[in-house]
Amino acid sequence: MSGALSRRRLLTGGAGIAAAVGLSGCAGGSDPRGRTVLGFLGSEAAATFQPVIDGFERANPGIAVAYTTVPADQLNDVLQLRLSAADSAIDVYTVDQPRVPALSARGFLTDLDPVAGRARDAVLPEQFEISSWEGRLRSLPIWTSTQYLFCNVDMLRKAGAEVPAADPAERWTWEQTLGAGRRAQERAGASAALLLEQTDLYYGIQPLVASLEAGSGITGPDMLTPDIRNDGWVRAMTWYHDLFANGLSPRGIESTQLVTLFTDGKAPFFVGGPWNLGAFAGLDAFQWRAVPQPYFADGVPATPTDSWSWGVNPAAAHPDAARRFVEYASLTTKGNLSTVRKTPLIPSNTAAFTSYVERLDTEATASTENAGTIMRHELEHTAVGRPRSIGYTQFETVMGAAFSDIRNGSEPEARLRRASAELERTWDRLR
Amino acid sequence: MARTHAPPAPAPTAAAPRALPLRRRPAVIALGFLAPALLMLVVLRLWPAAQALYGSLLHTSLLEGTTTWVGLDNYAVLFTDPDFWQSVGVTLVFNLVINPGQVLIALGLAVLFAKRFAGARLWRSLVLIPVAVPPAVSAVIWGVLYRPEGPLNALLAVFGLPAQPYLTSPAQALGAMIVMMSWVGVGYWMMFLLAGLQDIPADLYEAAKIDGASAWRRFVHVTLPQLRRPLAFVLVADTISNFLVFAPVQLLTSGGPEGATKLMMFDIFHRAYSVGDLHLALAEVMILVLVTLVIVSVQFRLLHSRED
Repeated sequence: MSGALSRRRLLTGGAGIAAAVGLSGCAGGSDPRGRTVLGFLGSEAAATFQPVIDGFERANPGIAVAYTTVPADQLNDVLQLRLSAADSAIDVYTVDQPRVPALSARGFLTDLDPVAGRARDAVLPEQFEISSWEGRLRSLPIWTSTQYLFCNVDMLRKAGAEVPAADPAERWTWEQTLGAGRRAQERAGASAALLLEQTDLYYGIQPLVASLEAGSGITGPDMLTPDIRNDGWVRAMTWYHDLFANGLSPRGIESTQLVTLFTDGKAPFFVGGPWNLGAFAGLDAFQWRAVPQPYFADGVPATPTDSWSWGVNPAAAHPDAARRFVEYASLTTKGNLSTVRKTPLIPSNTAAFTSYVERLDTEATASTENAGTIMRHELEHTAVGRPRSIGYTQFETVMGAAFSDIRNGSEPEARLRRASAELERTWDRLR
Repeated sequence: MARTHAPPAPAPTAAAPRALPLRRRPAVIALGFLAPALLMLVVLRLWPAAQALYGSLLHTSLLEGTTTWVGLDNYAVLFTDPDFWQSVGVTLVFNLVINPGQVLIALGLAVLFAKRFAGARLWRSLVLIPVAVPPAVSAVIWGVLYRPEGPLNALLAVFGLPAQPYLTSPAQALGAMIVMMSWVGVGYWMMFLLAGLQDIPADLYEAAKIDGASAWRRFVHVTLPQLRRPLAFVLVADTISNFLVFAPVQLLTSGGPEGATKLMMFDIFHRAYSVGDLHLALAEVMILVLVTLVIVSVQFRLLHSRED
């Protein structure tokens, strides 16, 4: 009897522990110090967010933040999977800004309109707009972005090529850039003429199309009609195709690994985001310089922009604490600046932005001279936002596959035709 | 004479069995033991399958924000979608090549390693090592090998052969995936066949030898019939696992180039989570399950008839 009882107790106890472990895994819960633990999901390295987490935890002693990182190319899939399952373990997550409409339409973003007034006063105007959808604030902006052309000055000089100027008024064309790049391949041992950091990603490709004034690729009253077969798109994609087909840029290397070719001194040019300013700071093997992103000779200068906002999961276990965390990171100067302490992205908070650019100017080296000026110029004059559509998620996915195929040798016009048909079928399902 | 009626003999009073208490009936006891497994079967298999079937009959309009019953419309949409048919074609070609290939190579290796020869254990271990490597790590290793400027092309260059595009070519990508998957799979399936081979009684081979059977005849008339059961298991399990291949596609090619490696399992994931059309993905899940069931039942039937 006592044996049976003890077995029963054992089983009951075991089941209880299993249930407790299961439940604690499902929701945020609290840590051993009794603090509320916020679940935070994003694709940045943990070190990037450590300063803002530390700052928030100091300001809110009863709350701890547990950050989980997911590879950037899987973030969309993971969010779709977990948010559609109303996973309460995610309280706050990073939101790629052009996805705000789609995430809002799916009910994956908590309405933050109660703080819209404060947000409008605190953040850059375009960042407020991009974080909203259908007139309501759906997320709070953290960063904006631009791109530079990074040059290996030593390699270009060795090749006897001119070095691009940092003045936006003297911006190079893509034709000039490839000319100097080829020269570096022929005379300075470069294995590639030009590297694009965001290969196959719409963010990186859009400026090529925008430079030829060919539109974003999405049109129509409901922004669910593809427009990727016009002359400008075909021309931009043919240029992209030839870049790899002619050996000016390498195939078969993931975009995240391309930066090492530049830092290893194997390419004279690298087009990348401002985060590279920090990553290249310790680079002393050669002299480098950040200059404005090129454009097509018969086109207009165009640079990518937008970046990340943070959103609160409607199924969050701790919605109030989650809102406080997001507000701290976006609406306070201190909090927003701490998000760029480890990685020099561009803050969305107006006061933080001003402070950041001033610091960029005062701490400039020979390599980053004018980086702040270029940044301000691009954001004011050449920045082209990604299209706002509830079909953007599908657009980016379908176009990513098309860019990849074109890079690997597919005929651009035929591949764009196929992508257009796929988009029509896919978007038809959203109606 | 008055007929006297003997009083009817009392019916033999065989002691009527006393009804067993419910908890002592064998069927109830058996059901009690089976209950956890049955519960798990319902909760983890049948209920999700029913939900998937139901979900495949719905459609969500993101523009309207409504979910409606559409019957078989999702299936009709799939059947008119060229990307779906490409995915079906790729999956069938992949399985037609990889399943016989893996089973034959695994069988050959099992027969080889069943023999005693110098270094047999070392070679066996080398074949088994890929089994211990997680699929994601295998994918990364082969991703590096297949790079245009990677080690495989360097090896080709040593022999004066031209560099190959491997995963970046629509013509070569599926073949490259099959080689990678076989590198992992062959050693695993070989283990089952090796165990089966070691269970075959040695006297069968001795008798065949005495009858003058050649090595080939011994293989055909002794080894294969005796190996039928493990071979059936390997063939069926290998087929199912290859119909469900996902991770290497996700990690190495994302279904490209030109959809050349878009296996159905990846296509389902792509529709459900990259594109966000869960109901269409569920319809494709039902089709994949149906296709797999048909193929596996045909395999079972063929093997069963051979057994007869």
